[in-house]
Parts: sequence; structure tokens; C-alpha cells
Amino acid sequence: MITDMNKSVKKHSLIFLITIFLFTLLVTFLSEPFGINFISTSFVKVLGKTLCLCIAAIAMDVVWGYCGILSLGHFAFFGLGGYMIGMWLMYERTSIIVLNSLDDSQLPFTEIELQEAIGNQIFGVVGGTEIPLIWTFADNLYFQIIFVILIPGLIAFIFGWLAFRSRVTGVYLSILTQAMTLALSLYLFQNDSGLRGNNGLSGLQNIPHLENLSQSTISILFLWLSSIGLIFSFVIFNYIIQSKFGSVITAIRDNETRLRFFGYNVEIYKLFIFVITAIITGLAGAIYYPQAGIINPAEIAPIASIYLAVWVAIGGRGKLYGAILGAASVSLLSSWFTGGNAPNIPLGFFTIEWVNWWTVFLGIGFVAITIFSKGGLIGMLNTLLVKIK
Amino acid sequence: MKTLLEVDNVSISFDGFKAIKNLSFSIGYNELQAIIGPNGAGKTTFMDIITGQTKPDNGHILWGEKSIDLIRKTESEIALLGIGRKFQKPTVFENKTIIDNLILSQKKNRNPFKVLFQKNTKSELTSIKKILKDINLYMIKDRIAGEISHGQKQWLEIGMLLSQNPKLMLIDEPAAGMTPTERNQTVSILKNIAKSSSIIVVEHDMEFVRNLNCRVTVLNEGSILSSGSIDFITQNEKVIEVYLGR
Repeated sequence: MITDMNKSVKKHSLIFLITIFLFTLLVTFLSEPFGINFISTSFVKVLGKTLCLCIAAIAMDVVWGYCGILSLGHFAFFGLGGYMIGMWLMYERTSIIVLNSLDDSQLPFTEIELQEAIGNQIFGVVGGTEIPLIWTFADNLYFQIIFVILIPGLIAFIFGWLAFRSRVTGVYLSILTQAMTLALSLYLFQNDSGLRGNNGLSGLQNIPHLENLSQSTISILFLWLSSIGLIFSFVIFNYIIQSKFGSVITAIRDNETRLRFFGYNVEIYKLFIFVITAIITGLAGAIYYPQAGIINPAEIAPIASIYLAVWVAIGGRGKLYGAILGAASVSLLSSWFTGGNAPNIPLGFFTIEWVNWWTVFLGIGFVAITIFSKGGLIGMLNTLLVKIK
Repeated sequence: MKTLLEVDNVSISFDGFKAIKNLSFSIGYNELQAIIGPNGAGKTTFMDIITGQTKPDNGHILWGEKSIDLIRKTESEIALLGIGRKFQKPTVFENKTIIDNLILSQKKNRNPFKVLFQKNTKSELTSIKKILKDINLYMIKDRIAGEISHGQKQWLEIGMLLSQNPKLMLIDEPAAGMTPTERNQTVSILKNIAKSSSIIVVEHDMEFVRNLNCRVTVLNEGSILSSGSIDFITQNEKVIEVYLGR
């Protein structure tokens, strides 16, 4: 805390922030609308989405790597953030479309007819025309942004309060968090959940009131938003872990029982970390899904949260840039392999198709890294750098 | 002498086994007391009960001038009232430096929102430096606590208690794994602390207890066998029988 470590940490963090900034600038100059058209719009979106996943990964690293809570449910908060912003995107866009078509019909229309038309457009697919109560504020962007923060924060608070107060720790807590995300996903799969069941929310890439902008321009806007989000959350988390608070949460990770006898109310600290990471993860989701274009309950299935933990473990637990390295490399590789870009390997009697074999490859890589490098990829890099010096 | 802590008729049983039977005990302000007893006598359970880790089946534990009952308090609340504890196996935060361990335990506001913005003032760092010198670890203050010797960890944990600055310290086997010289140093550290706070020491080593020169309580099978000066209890027939041996 007060040692020389502080200086090198500050230097590293600064280098990292500048790298992110330069990276975003570089992508902008290589993009179609603002540069030399070297990178396709869809790839810009992949990069923007990856930055959002990096935000979720550093939040996961703080809650797991620093505070020792292996949450296998954090992706639920990511999805909830996406749903909250998705409600506004979908409602607003539908209402614009409906208004335009009603204008054409020349007959005057009532507010009720308008609501019915919007309801029919959005919920016709799950056999309803009524707009559910939870969509009350969907016409107001500011309210929905507040919900992006409030809903994941509130769910994390209630869940955390119950779990931590009962002193559920370790594997049992992991299972509970997993149950939380599974329950949420199953609930959202139902047609009467009010969020369009398994259809989810779609057409989110079309941003209302920005119809004049092309998708390529919007993709760059969101790239910058994602990059600012990553810088913002890195600064916040970096401050927390460098402060005395950070010293307290690593002490919780290492021996929470001992810490209690020094007068620290361990549960409150855990709750604080659980809630703040949930909120940041939710915000990341809210930037991610307009780039993905669609969100459905499958997104928050337990496997997504497990992937989050895998990224952090591969990148290097207990180092913020480790989590970022893990999330970025694994998710980019994943989209490369599963996108059918990787050449298949014919073995004569058998052909390795990467679309199917990628997860096997990832699994082997995960096991190898856990066995051979405790610090993950970033640990390997550090050892290499020390050797070179 | 005014009473700081009063343990009143406390009992606890685990699965029918009575670990503590109707035990009463009290300690005054700035008093040093030692507890001895054979293995399984209930010494550690006794400390667990005072610090809130284990809830007794019946009895009361009254604290301070306002006679606050500690039975319903959590570990952290009891610690904040002013009771510190050193464990039998030295328990420090092994991934942190020695000085960071002391900063962590330092008596300060524990509200998370306050802790988030807490900085160390000059006077606080000065008091930590003084503690580092008292526990002979000043020269190695930036070393990781996991790397230091067993005896040094014992001192570090005592140092963390000093930094926590409690009114009462419960110290479980402070001399375990120490060389004779280190033991003597530990005795003088403890005597020094006892000038400004109360201490209960649990120890096996009779020579160490003799050097502390304080009131000694002998526990056996969950109740008090005898209590008094070291010379008094070593004369006691029952104590000789169950603990000292002939």
C-alpha cells in the first residue's frame, strides 16, 4: 500500500489506459466511416463487444480474484443490463414505426389505439397485445438507464445480503450464484415473463433517433462508448484495490475469520464488492447488447458465467489486466474458431472441425494453464519478462 | 480493582460433551492473568466464547463499565468494543507485507465507505513504526509476512494486536515455537503491554508463566480447578495431580 509497489502499479495502469485509447483510435482510423475502410463494420462490433466483455471480466476479477467470492452468476447482471436498455431501444423504435404508419392512415387515432399497436408489434410474437407493467418506463431512456444500474444492483444486494449474512462461503456460495442465474434465465424463458420469452429482445442495433446514421458509424460510436466504459471501470476498480479497502478484501479472501477479530464486518465488505461489480457488469451489458443486436434468456444461462470465470482464470486472477487479457484473447479466439474462419484439419480417417472442437481445445488450454502457470497468461508473460531482463 | 470483563456462570456442550461447565471468571483493568490446563481443558473454547466465535448455552459475559452483554454480539462487534485475540497458530495475512498487516489491524473507523478513502496520517505511521520496533521487526517491515519465521509471525500477530489497541487481549500460546531468548523477549513485551491494557495469556510452558508473575487460573475439564499466584497453584494437590504430574 505504501511501498514502492505503488509507483510501478501506477505506471502500469497508465500504460494500460493509453493502450486502450490508442487501440480505439487505431480501429477508428481503420474503419469505414472515419478511416481507410480496412476493418469491416461487423469486426468493429466484435471489437466493441469484446471491450464490454473485458469490463465484465475485470468486475469478475475483483469479486473473485481479489475478494475470493467465486460468483458463477455475474453474467446474469450483464444480461439484465442488456434487457433494461433493450426495453427502451425496442419500445422507442417500435413506437416510431407505429406512429409513422398511423400517420399514413389519415384517420385520427387515440392513445389507446397507439398503445395497442405498439403492444401488438412487440408482444404479438408471444401472443399478447398488452404492454406489461414492467414496461411502464420503457418510453423514457433516462429511466431505463437508471434501471440498468438499479436492477442488477438491487438483485445483487438482496441475494448478497441473504447469502453473506448466513455466512455461506466457498463452493456452496458458487452453487447458489449459479442457481440464481439459472432461475433468472428460466424465468425469462417463459412467455408471460413480460420480456418476450425465448424470443428475447431484438433489433437492438437500430438506435432510435439515430436513423440517419449508418450502422458503420454507430458501430464506431459504440466502440468508443465501450472503450470509455472499460477505462472508467478500470479506474474505479483500480482505485478500490489500491486503497485500504483493497487490502481488506484480499484479507477477506485469505482469511475472513481472522479479519473479523480485528473488528471488520466482513459481510458488509463482501456485499459492497458484490453489488458494485454487479452494477458495473450491468452497465457493460447495456453497452454490449446494442452492438450484438439481440438478447435472449440463453445469454444468461449458467454457462456464460462459467466462461467469465474461465477467462479470468486463463488471463490471470488477481491482476486487472490479466482478466482483460484473458477475456479479450479467449473471446476473440472463440469467435474466430466458431465463426468458421479456422481451417479444418483433415486427419484422413477424421476431420477436426473447429466449430465443434473449439470448446475441447479451450478446455485443454484451460487445464494446461491452470497446471503450468498459477498466474495465468499474465503470470507467464511476467516470468518471461523477468527472464529477458 | 474495577472489573473489565466478567464471565458469569457460562456453560457450553458440543454433542453432549460439556466443554465448559458453569465457569466464572473476571479480569480488571490493566491486569495480566494467565490460564493453564491440560489439553482439552477448554482453554481455546473459553476464548472462542469471549470473542463471539462460539455462543454458550447459558451464562453471561459482561463487558466494561456499562456491563454490555457480549453473548448477542458478533465477532466484529466484540472486536470493536475492545477485545483483541491472538491465535494459537500465528495467524497473519501471509500475502501482505509486515507493515500492511499492521495498517490493516490499526484502530480506525471500519465503515467500508470510510475505509475506501482512508489514508495513513503521519502520526499513525509513527505509531506503527514504534510498534515495529517494539516487536523487533522494523528492519524487515517490507517483507511478505508469509516468508518470516514462526517466532516472528508470533510477534507480528502481537504487533497487530498492539496496533488494534484493544482494552483486553486474549493471547493463546505466545511462546510456542520460540527459542529461550525469544521467550524472554516475549515476556517483556507482554509485561510492557499490560501497563496499558488487560491481558489473558493461555500457555503450556510453566517457566514462561512463572516469569509473567501474575494471577494464574488452572482449567480442567471445563471448570476452574484452582486460581491464585503461581506458587499457590503449584502447591495445590489437585493441580499437581491432573496437570503438573509428580
